[in-house]
Amino acid sequence: MFARLLGESFARNPRRKVLTAAALVIGMAVATATLTIALEVGDRLAREFRSLGANLLVTPESDTLPVEIGGVDYRPVDEGAYLNEADLGKLKTIFWRHNILGFTPFLDVPVYISETGGATTLIGTWYEHEVPVPDGTEFATGASVTHPWWKVQGRWFRDRADECVVGVSLAEKYPAVFALGNTIHAGQNEAAGSGRSLLVTGIVSTSDADDNAVLAPLAVAQAISGHPGKFRQLSVSALTKPADALAERGERAQTDKNIQLTPTEYDRWFCSPYISSIAFQIRTVLPGTDVHAIRRVAETEGRILTRVGTLLWIVTLAALGAAALAVAATSATTVLERRAEIGVMKALGATNALVGGIFLAEQVLLAIAGGAVGFFVGAGLARFLGESVFGTPAAPRLILFPVVLALAAIIAMIGSLVPLRRAAHFRPAVILRGE
Amino acid sequence: MFWRLVFQLLRGSRGRLGVAILAIVSGAAVISALLDLDLGVQNKLTQEFRTLGANIVISPASGAPTQIRGAEAPSLMPEIEVVGTLQQLPSAQVAAAAPYLYIVARAQNIPVVLAGTWLDQAQKLDATWKLEGNWVASRADDSHCLVGRNVARRLQLAVGNPLELHYLDRSAPCTVEGIVDAGGSEDNQVFASLRAVQSLANLPAQIGLAQVSVTGTARVVEDYSTRLAAALPQYRVRPIRQVTEAEGALLGRIRLLIVSMVLLILILTALCVLGTMAALAMERRKDVGLMKSLGGSISRIVGIFLAEVGVLGAAGGFVGTFLGAALAYWMGLRVFGTAISPRWEVFPVTIALMIVVTLAGALPLRMLGNVKPAEILRGE
Repeated sequence: MFARLLGESFARNPRRKVLTAAALVIGMAVATATLTIALEVGDRLAREFRSLGANLLVTPESDTLPVEIGGVDYRPVDEGAYLNEADLGKLKTIFWRHNILGFTPFLDVPVYISETGGATTLIGTWYEHEVPVPDGTEFATGASVTHPWWKVQGRWFRDRADECVVGVSLAEKYPAVFALGNTIHAGQNEAAGSGRSLLVTGIVSTSDADDNAVLAPLAVAQAISGHPGKFRQLSVSALTKPADALAERGERAQTDKNIQLTPTEYDRWFCSPYISSIAFQIRTVLPGTDVHAIRRVAETEGRILTRVGTLLWIVTLAALGAAALAVAATSATTVLERRAEIGVMKALGATNALVGGIFLAEQVLLAIAGGAVGFFVGAGLARFLGESVFGTPAAPRLILFPVVLALAAIIAMIGSLVPLRRAAHFRPAVILRGE
Repeated sequence: MFWRLVFQLLRGSRGRLGVAILAIVSGAAVISALLDLDLGVQNKLTQEFRTLGANIVISPASGAPTQIRGAEAPSLMPEIEVVGTLQQLPSAQVAAAAPYLYIVARAQNIPVVLAGTWLDQAQKLDATWKLEGNWVASRADDSHCLVGRNVARRLQLAVGNPLELHYLDRSAPCTVEGIVDAGGSEDNQVFASLRAVQSLANLPAQIGLAQVSVTGTARVVEDYSTRLAAALPQYRVRPIRQVTEAEGALLGRIRLLIVSMVLLILILTALCVLGTMAALAMERRKDVGLMKSLGGSISRIVGIFLAEVGVLGAAGGFVGTFLGAALAYWMGLRVFGTAISPRWEVFPVTIALMIVVTLAGALPLRMLGNVKPAEILRGE
C-alpha cells in the first residue's frame, strides 16, 4: 500500500518532481565539483608553485665559505669540497622520491676565454639529463625543471656535447665573439690547449647574475676544472606540504637536543612531505651534505598554499550551503503545493506518521536519484574546471559518491521537515473546503 | 491603489514570503561576500608574494654586479643617480628598495662577501629571513652589521660579538647585531651599512646594484619597470622573472578558481530563488482569479505581482549585501589575518542581480494570463 502510494505519486505527477529533482541534481553537482576541486587544489597549486624553481639547496657540509656574488662562486677550483655526481640517483630512492620533481647540479669554474682575452665564469650544469636511478630506471631532470624561467634564444646545449649557451649580459658585451654558431675556447688559464672548444648554441636570459656567465654541460665543466664526476651545489625542486607546528618541531629536533619527538610524532613527521623531512631524507642518502630549504621560496609557498586552501574550503562551504538551501527550498515547495492531497489522505484516516512517511520516502528517493545524477554531472564539471584552471582534468573521487548521496538525502529531508510539521496541523476540513 | 495591493499581498502571505526572503538574503550575502573576496583576494595574495623578495633589479649595463677578481674593472653606478630616480618616481607601489655594494673583504683572514646596503630595508625586502638577534633600525648606523648563518658558524660569531672587516690596507669594525638564516647565498655574506662599505672599499657614493620590491599585479610591476628603465636608460632595469612569472600565473589560476566557484554559487542561488518564486506564483492563482473576475486587466495583475517580486528582490538584496560585507570581513580576518573591506561597486551589482533573478523566477506568472476566473473560483 505504502509502495503503491509512492509509485502513484511519481507516476501521476512527474512534472511536479522535476523542479525538486533539478535542484537536487544541480545542487549536488556543484557540491561534488567544489569538493573534488577543494580536495585536489593543494596538490595542484603546490605543483604550480614549482614554477618558482628549486626549494632545496644541497651543498657540501665541510665546505669553505663560498665567495659567491649573484649566483657565481668566485672560489678557486681547488678550494672547497665537492659532491659526487654518481650519488645523485639515490635522491630517487628516498621515502618521498615521487615528490622530488627535479634536481640540477652546478659546478662553477673560473675560465679564461681566449677570444675575449678575459676571465669569466663557466657554469657546468644539466639542462636535460638522464640520471640512472639504483632501481635500474632513468630519471630525466635538469635546469628545464628546476629553473623553468630560464629563456634561451637559439637552443640549449646538448648534454655532454662540446657546446655552451652564453648569458645575455656577456653576449651583449662581446656580440662578435658570442654570436650563435661561433666557437669559443675556454680554459683554466691563458695557455692555449688546456681547455675545450665550445660551440655557442644559444643566448640565455636567466634574469639573474648568471647572465654574465657561460653555461655548459656539467661534463665539460668537470673536464676543464679537472674534477671529473664532481659538482659543487645542487638545486632540488620538491613537492611539499605547508609547514605546521609538527614540521617546525621536527626541523628543530635535528639540531636542538632539548627537543625530542615521540616515536609516533617522528613517524608522522617522516611520512609527511614537509620540506624539513624531505631535507632530512636527502641528507641521509647524501651523507656529508648540508641540505637547506630556500626559505624565500619555501615560506612564501607554504603561506600562500595555506591561505588559498582555507579560502577554498570556505568557498566550498558556501557552495554547499547554497546547494542545501536550493534543495531545501524546492522540497518545502513541493510539500506546500500538495496540501490538498494531504487533506484528502488525512480525511481518509491517514495518520500524521503515514503522511510524513510517504513524503519523506518520496524525498529520499528523489534525493538518491538526483544525487547520483548530480555526482556524475559534478564529476564532469570538476574535470572541466580542473582542465580550464590547471590544464589537467581533476580525476573524479569515488569516495565522494556516498558522501554526496547522504548529503542529498539529509538536505531533502530537512527541507521537507518544516512544512511537514505544519502539514501535521492541517485540518482536513479546512483544506478540502479550499481555504 | 497599485502599491496598496502590492503591500497587502506582501503582508498576506508572510510564511511563503519568509522562505523567499531567506533564499534571496542568503543568496545575496554569499554572492556579495564572494565578489568582495574576489576583488580583495588579488591584493592580499600579491602582498603575500612580496615575501619572495625584490622583483626589480637595477644594475650597470654590462658586467657583473661587482667584479671581484680578474682583469675587468668593476662596473658600478653612482648612488645619487639611482636613488634619486627611485625617489622621483611615484612610490605608492614600492614596498621596499635598497642599493647594494658587494665587495670581497677579509674577516679573521678568511675571504667573505660583504654587502653594503640600507639595513633598515632588509626586513621588508627579505621578509622570510629568520633572524637571531635584532634588525638594524637605521640605514645610517655604521657600527652594526648582520652576518649570515654560515659566516657566523665559520667565524664562530654570536650576537653582540665584535667583527673586524679588512679590505686591502683598510679596516672597519662592527658589532654583530643579528645572525641571518636565509636558506640561500645570503647565509654566506656579511651585511653592513652602505656608507661603511663604501668607505672601506674606497668607492664613495658608488653602488653595484639596487633592488626594488614593487607590490601589485604583474602589469603594475611591468609598468613600473618600464618607467624606471626610461628614467635610467644607461642601466639595466629588469624584473626578476622567476618571481613575476610565477606570481602572475599563480594569481591567474587562483582567481579563475574563485570566479568559477562564484559562478556556480550564483547559479544555485538563482535556482533557489526561482523555485520559491514559482511556488509563490502557483499559490497566487486564486488571487488572480478573484482580481480578474473583479475586472482587473492581465497586464495590471501581472504588473502587481512583478512589483511585489521586485520589491522582494531589492529588499533581500539590500539586506544580503550588508550581511555579505560582514561575511567577507570575517573571511579576510580568518584567511589573511587582515580584514577585506567591502567594495561599493558590489552593492549595486548584487542588488541588481537579485532583482533580475527574482523577476526571472516570476516568469511562471505569465501563465496567470491563461487563468479562467470561473474555474479558479469554482475551486479547480
